[in-house]
Amino acid sequence: MAETANLATAPNRMAKRDPRREGATGSRRVFIRKETLIALLFVLPGLALAILFKLVPLLRGIWLSFLETRGFEDPTFAGLANYRTMLADPSVHDSFRNALIAFATLPVWIVLPLVLAFLLFQKTPGWKFFRAAFFLPYMIAPIVVGIMFRQILAPDGPLNAVLRAIGLAPLAIEWLNGPTSALLALTAVALWSFFGLGVLTYLSGLSTVSEEVVEAAKLDGAGFWRLLFHIIMPLLKSVIGYWAVLCTSGILIWMFPLIYALTKGGPGTATVLPEFLVFTTTFQFLDRGLGAAIGMALFVFVAIVSAFVVRRMYVEGAQKK
Amino acid sequence: MTSTSLAAGGRRRSARAMLAGLAFASLTALAGPAALAADTTTIRVLNWEPGGADYWKALVAEFEKQNPDIKVELETVPFDRYPEVQGPYITTKSGPDVMENNAGLELFDRRRAYAELPPEVLEAGKDLITYSGGCLNFDTTKACYGLPFGYQGNVMYYNKKVLAEAGLDPANPPKTWDEMGAACEKVKAVGKTCLAIGLSGIFPAYWDFPEIARNYLTEDDMRAMLAGKMPWTDPKMVNILKGLASITEKGWTNSSAPSITMLPDGADIFQSGNAAFAGTIISDAVNWAAFGKVLGDENLGAMRWPTLVADAPLANSFSGIESSVFGVTSWSDKKDAAFKFVKFIAGKENAELLTKIAGGISLNKNVDPSVMPKSQALSQILEIIKTPTLHAGVLLSGQEADALARGWQEVALGRLSVEDWTGRMQKALEQSPSKRQ
Repeated sequence: MAETANLATAPNRMAKRDPRREGATGSRRVFIRKETLIALLFVLPGLALAILFKLVPLLRGIWLSFLETRGFEDPTFAGLANYRTMLADPSVHDSFRNALIAFATLPVWIVLPLVLAFLLFQKTPGWKFFRAAFFLPYMIAPIVVGIMFRQILAPDGPLNAVLRAIGLAPLAIEWLNGPTSALLALTAVALWSFFGLGVLTYLSGLSTVSEEVVEAAKLDGAGFWRLLFHIIMPLLKSVIGYWAVLCTSGILIWMFPLIYALTKGGPGTATVLPEFLVFTTTFQFLDRGLGAAIGMALFVFVAIVSAFVVRRMYVEGAQKK
Repeated sequence: MTSTSLAAGGRRRSARAMLAGLAFASLTALAGPAALAADTTTIRVLNWEPGGADYWKALVAEFEKQNPDIKVELETVPFDRYPEVQGPYITTKSGPDVMENNAGLELFDRRRAYAELPPEVLEAGKDLITYSGGCLNFDTTKACYGLPFGYQGNVMYYNKKVLAEAGLDPANPPKTWDEMGAACEKVKAVGKTCLAIGLSGIFPAYWDFPEIARNYLTEDDMRAMLAGKMPWTDPKMVNILKGLASITEKGWTNSSAPSITMLPDGADIFQSGNAAFAGTIISDAVNWAAFGKVLGDENLGAMRWPTLVADAPLANSFSGIESSVFGVTSWSDKKDAAFKFVKFIAGKENAELLTKIAGGISLNKNVDPSVMPKSQALSQILEIIKTPTLHAGVLLSGQEADALARGWQEVALGRLSVEDWTGRMQKALEQSPSKRQ
């Protein structure tokens, strides 16, 4: 019946074509085309920049990874030889293992600034001072931080002197000499340098949290940790996700100046991360092809790890909607 | 025409004349520097400031005085960071007009970045004790890419005060490995470090390796090393690694050695008076002049590294090399001016500046000996350098130098055997583009 009715009404609809409406649709189409064109014009410069400075270097990097380079002589095509060398090179394995160990500290990178930000948010005594103090290390150039901590962490440096003075001599270890302690020291220094930004990021997120919610939870008897884990963290999921992505890239591809100034990747390869290896292979060993191959491996590694974190962010975002 | 209008016309004319005069004056004022700028060629010189800032200031002033049409702009980078700054310039074939590199393999590796020196510039080499380190395979009949100015090499400095404090005779420092061991025990007993050392970076390769290598290698062996024909599995090479390992295994060094660099950290330990010995260099930095200034010339002595194999042919030689060479970049569009600078670098005037201001030891044969500073350590060095041999450190590739330092760090910490270190060194040799057969 409905179909018949439709058939019956169809010619009527055709007959009832409104020229004004048609004109409006036409002009809307023109408007949309114009709008698309304008949008494209706006996007084009960004797109051109992205192609020029992101895509082209990436493609050049991929191409370079297939070339054999002897010092500064002209390169020759080498197929997958650089990738085979990379896979067989223990220093490459060491660097990715180190990257995974450093990445395993990510929960500390996420939770520590959150705790501190929440303390500031609750206006803990001295919060104004600490808000500035926490951000200060982020403003010191990483290379300076590295040089500073090379002195602080020396076997006879100030840190060990303090530990010995307060009766914690067993903790006064040779921080930069041990394979694990050196990597953890490097990561800790990076965290020290970076956490201020995290505190600030979380504080901006906390400013959107209603004080009534916190007060109500307190009235219900929630303590600091319960408040943090059961009220604040669920409310700040997207901010936490954003910070996690920043930290992931921070750990995996922004540690270079610290490694350079603090340990130069040593002792042995204990603190060599892939990005540092790309640099030494390319510029110290003059093996640009192999350096590019390691760079590509790092790119894939970071992409996989970041994709996992970003996906979590989107899932959280979708659930929120 | 009234007088008023005449006067007004005159005022207008004189105003116009004044304006024209002003315009002319400002034009000539503007044209002055413009003409000057057009006549002046500015060259950029990438360097690590060997000899120190004062010497380089004087060097540039003297060169500009002699060549008023050339202005020198220095780009100075610390020595241990130099390869990282220079690498991108070479890769992108852009940047400075003149660059500095260590003579030997480091320069040969980068020869594509340098223009071959023309005969009129190479003429300056005739006044030098040697300039072969700037020429391919240390052969002056082959292409040369840079000219040196100073003589460089390794010695061991000692602090006489610390030796005396430890009950040792400052006039008779250790000559053999065993004597060094005995001396170190005494130095450690007074709570000081025996040998200040830093194993991070390129210093172990350049400053320590050659001194042990002289005990096991002949000059032919070193040439084989340069050609990539001396495997690290060769017993002689293994012995060198064992010799290096023994330094840290015997506990002669500071505990921070595996995680610090020799420059500045290791040198600082010696300079602060907390160590008896330090193995550094004769020119440029951390040399007799620098240490003498801090510790007092009277407290400083210089000696050959103690020998491991007393009767080895090169055991009592000096690992010498042109300190560094300066060459003109292949991409420079100011080559004439840049070549003039390189020629000046090797000349007598610069040699005398190096000696007078930096306390450096020049390669130029025409330097007046009376301009040499008076220092006992310098006198000792001048004796030591009389029996030179090849410098094995500059024959190592970047990969080998890196593997040497990292391996030694791990050996020092007891996490790597000499056998495994040997394996790593061999792998580094096989991966060295400049040494691939």
